[in-house]
Amino acid sequence: MNLPERPITILIAALGGEGGGVMADWLMHAATECGYPAQATSIPGVAQRTGATTYYLEIYPEKRDRLGGRAPVLSLTPSPGNVDIMVASELVEAGRAMQNGYIDPSRTTLIASTHRIYATAEKMQMGDGRFDSERVVDAARELAKRAVLFDMRKLAQESGTVINAVLFGAIAGSGVLPLPREACEAAIRHGGRGAEASLRGFAAGFDIAAGARPAPAAPVPPKRATELTEILRIGKERLEDYQGAGYARLYEERMQPFLAGDPKLAAEVARHLALWMAYEDIIRVADLKTRASRFERVRREVGARDGEPVLVIDYLKPGVEEFASVLPAFLGRRLVSWAERRGKLDAYNIGMHIKTSSVLGYLLVRALAWLKPWRPRSYRYGEEQRLIGRWLALVSDAAARDTALALEIAMCAGLIKGYGETHRRGKANFLAIIDALVENPPTSDAREQAAAIRKAREAALADPEGKALGATLGKPVVWLKQVART
Amino acid sequence: MELQFTKEIGSLRLGNGDTFHGEGILAVTKALLQSGVSYVGGYQGAPVSHLLDVMVQARDYMDELGVHVEACTTEAAAAAMLGASINYPARGAVTWKSIVGTNVAADALSYLASAGVMGGTLIVLGEDYGEGGVVAQERSHAYALKSLMWLLDPRPNLETIVDMVEHGFELSEASSTPVMMELRIRACHVRGSFKTKANRAPAVSKKHLLEGPPREFIYDRLAHPPATFRQEKLKSDVRLPAARKFVVEQRLNEIFPGNENVGIVVQGGLYNTLMRALKTLGLADAFGASRIPIFALNVVYPLVPEEITAFCASKKAVLVLEEGQPEFIEQEIAMFLRRAEVGAKLHGKDCLHMAGEYTAEAMVRGLSKFLAQEAPHLDVSRAKQWLERVEGVRAKASELLAALPPRPPTFCIGCPERPVFSAMKLVAQDIGRPHVSMDVGCHAFASFEPFSQGNTLLGYGMSLASAAGVAPMSARRPVAVMGDGGFWHNGLLSGVASNLLNRGDGVLFIMKNGYASATGTQELLSSPPEDARSRSLGQSAAHADRTIESTLKGLGVKWLRTVDNYKVGEVAKAYKEAMTSPGKGLKVIVAEGECQLERQRRLRPAVANQLSAGKRTVRVKYGVDEDTCTGDHSCIRVSGCPTLTVKDNPDPLRRDPVATVIDGCVGCGLCGENAHAAVLCPSFYRAEIIQNPSGWDRLVSQVRRLFA
Repeated sequence: MNLPERPITILIAALGGEGGGVMADWLMHAATECGYPAQATSIPGVAQRTGATTYYLEIYPEKRDRLGGRAPVLSLTPSPGNVDIMVASELVEAGRAMQNGYIDPSRTTLIASTHRIYATAEKMQMGDGRFDSERVVDAARELAKRAVLFDMRKLAQESGTVINAVLFGAIAGSGVLPLPREACEAAIRHGGRGAEASLRGFAAGFDIAAGARPAPAAPVPPKRATELTEILRIGKERLEDYQGAGYARLYEERMQPFLAGDPKLAAEVARHLALWMAYEDIIRVADLKTRASRFERVRREVGARDGEPVLVIDYLKPGVEEFASVLPAFLGRRLVSWAERRGKLDAYNIGMHIKTSSVLGYLLVRALAWLKPWRPRSYRYGEEQRLIGRWLALVSDAAARDTALALEIAMCAGLIKGYGETHRRGKANFLAIIDALVENPPTSDAREQAAAIRKAREAALADPEGKALGATLGKPVVWLKQVART
Repeated sequence: MELQFTKEIGSLRLGNGDTFHGEGILAVTKALLQSGVSYVGGYQGAPVSHLLDVMVQARDYMDELGVHVEACTTEAAAAAMLGASINYPARGAVTWKSIVGTNVAADALSYLASAGVMGGTLIVLGEDYGEGGVVAQERSHAYALKSLMWLLDPRPNLETIVDMVEHGFELSEASSTPVMMELRIRACHVRGSFKTKANRAPAVSKKHLLEGPPREFIYDRLAHPPATFRQEKLKSDVRLPAARKFVVEQRLNEIFPGNENVGIVVQGGLYNTLMRALKTLGLADAFGASRIPIFALNVVYPLVPEEITAFCASKKAVLVLEEGQPEFIEQEIAMFLRRAEVGAKLHGKDCLHMAGEYTAEAMVRGLSKFLAQEAPHLDVSRAKQWLERVEGVRAKASELLAALPPRPPTFCIGCPERPVFSAMKLVAQDIGRPHVSMDVGCHAFASFEPFSQGNTLLGYGMSLASAAGVAPMSARRPVAVMGDGGFWHNGLLSGVASNLLNRGDGVLFIMKNGYASATGTQELLSSPPEDARSRSLGQSAAHADRTIESTLKGLGVKWLRTVDNYKVGEVAKAYKEAMTSPGKGLKVIVAEGECQLERQRRLRPAVANQLSAGKRTVRVKYGVDEDTCTGDHSCIRVSGCPTLTVKDNPDPLRRDPVATVIDGCVGCGLCGENAHAAVLCPSFYRAEIIQNPSGWDRLVSQVRRLFA
């Protein structure tokens, strides 16, 4: 009798809490009920604790009663090039499987969800540290015999179930296993609890993998403004909202000298200028936090249903800087310089949990937003406008020499963001680069100077302690908290 | 406990001729009962936790059988428990994770092996070697050699494993020697089936009591001089020959014939991988029929010289496949062959790598090398093509993808230990990074990003002890982090008592989460009492037990604080004070917060009941305002919570992704507390969603809407 040459092998890469173990049970149950010799094992490791975990199954595609009492020897360990179905519950894990050699162009069907669960190393970066999903998708299409890729997490959520049900459906629907759909569904029913929801998820995954239904379209990423006219329009609207028509006019006036020049430079200046001019002081934060649109967004984000009241409690901790920022310029300056000298910038912060959704809490926060007309007389306003002026002048001067250099200087404005110490750090990095590489450049060659600025800017985003930037500039970058400490 | 074994307990009751379906380690549990075991003990740890967990949960059935089950506080206690089989015909089994557990148990094991046993004793070792291993990578084999205890390494299928458990007890009794059985991670978790037998009532048990202590005083039962000198001789003169005789007579090792004049000697546990490698080489079929003869060692110690020489005698060459270092088996086989003047050429570590796991790929490489030298007539070009192909695929993938972000394990969502490390990171910004000695447990995840801390890790409960030499040489006080599991396992004596005796200095954090959480939330001496747990639901019940605090006080710890972990500011304050206070002496901070896994396990069904009964229920979730977040991610660098992540910036002018809290947030509040403690930003909010709202809720909500 001609028996199959080898077992069908399935390697599942999942993360903790995704029900990988349950899926392995379903597969085992379905295979065993169909009479096929099957074996499953796993490296659960610290699965519950969110780490990557793998399950490995082998199913011999001939029924046990036709084997004449012989039993196939099934392996407990996957080997590269010998995997028929590679399942990844997350996109980068599919990439990892490729790098480990588990996806063979002549043999392996890859079934992977396209959603991302960002690793800590990606999300803790000061800028955008996310791995490019497109790269994994492209590599999958190139390396796999067949790649079944769609957002299975979304389908699972829509079906009110866990991703394992959708993955199981996709495995069954891919047609690689000798298991009929009914046997798989019976295995889910046998599992008991939550079977109905799991079956919905299974059906969705099955139909898409079998080509009976199109994969859901990927969500459209938020639009980025890249064209100058668009940026100018958004900037103008934002600043009008921020401080009125006069302030928006100031934005336009500041942009005027750049409009005739290089459009890319103008766009970058326009973008950074709009963001900088709409700097986040407590007046702005209070304003944004008390808008009706915000409460609607919170309801959406926390998944509140109609008729379910939602209380919103804000975590605010204003300190010396926030207080000084709204004082008249001369008072604010004296307060901040006193606090800097004494190392007291972070000494008097008041931690508050304000129930912004209550009448009193709302009025308290809204009252701060009502300070808007006062803002142009505040200490922080003066400080910001002065630094904006200095930056614009430097960009403008550089533009006369070299557009690329001007662009690099313009982009340095992106270093300043955040609140409290984050803001202080960003500003110190900005000033250190301006001082060392723009106002006192070590070279007269514009291209070299531009490259040095770019390198320093990237270094500034490498670590929050300023070590990389310090090494790049050849001297430590200190911001006020550290100065105060020594 | 983390898992409920209701179904598995049912399969422990299976009788003659039934079929058991399930995991390898639970098959071992069933086999123990089929062998008439009297008592079972051990210490939890992957991959053998389930053996003990299921027995603890099956207490009623164990009582029915008269089997005593003990969740020991250390592996040393478990090993010492086997002393019951020295004087009495009672079969005993213990289990732990190895190499670490065997290290801890070593003292008692030496004495047990010296005295020898009357009742069969089996030690089930979770051999945590290779992929998935989380401990120092060493083999348990050395312990068998130095104590002359026997070591089984069964082929990884349920029938063989169960058979070796049953034979293991007999071997132990036939040779008066404790027997160890090593099961690798995948073998413990392999799912398969076997035909069961009825459980055997233990000869001696809680139901069949001993008549009394031994009638006579027999000095030889004590591992104490002068008996120890005689016992040392007995091991090799009497027990070893008896064991070898049993192994041969019962055919515990297996020969799979072939038709080539070269052979392979393999540890039983590696057999299935070997068959896959041979299949890839085109030298075996899917059913284990191999062209090359195979000698599978289900007993890797002792080896039987006659068996080895008989297998090798007719062969030109043999290859020994032995995972890990050094090559104990290969060395012994070399000695046998030399003594018997058998001419077969011996290969092993010259063809395969010395250290680390033997995967199918490694075996294909090694076998190719072996066969090229000793059986060049065999066509192994398939293997070469396969290897080239695999390398090509890997190279292509690396080229297409470059470096992928690593994904080490991390603390669970809402874990009470994360806030402590947030506080430590914040304080380090003020007073500098201290020397941190880490320990074994969930808290070791703090060695990964975003916390990236820890200078040493010396074993379970050893953190404070490992700082003892650092403190006197350091300008800044060293910090030791220890879990409550580690505290009761070893830290109390090795760490705290030793520090006090020597009037040491230093700071000790004890993570009081209430359970041995990393291994599956097993109970500790200081676990919160049941009634406090049922009252607390989603809240922490850890405060309801003060055993750790009173123990420390009783021991003489003067500086002792208990902090609520989630109050990051307070933890930071206590820690900073401990680090900077002028007085010398041990400072202990008990960081209190019950394991979130346990809390959620209680809370989830309770909430589901409440909701379906239409009762008012408040759900808490945290969030980030996307229009005030500027995308610096400071919050993530002091948290690392899986639900605090990033998303595309909705602002068309900005590029950096903003922070966001995704589904799965359990509302522990750490992100808000961090925002306060670190003075990060005003973007965090706490939302309380009122499900099944009362009329009053609705009214208030409508009034509020008039304003916002």
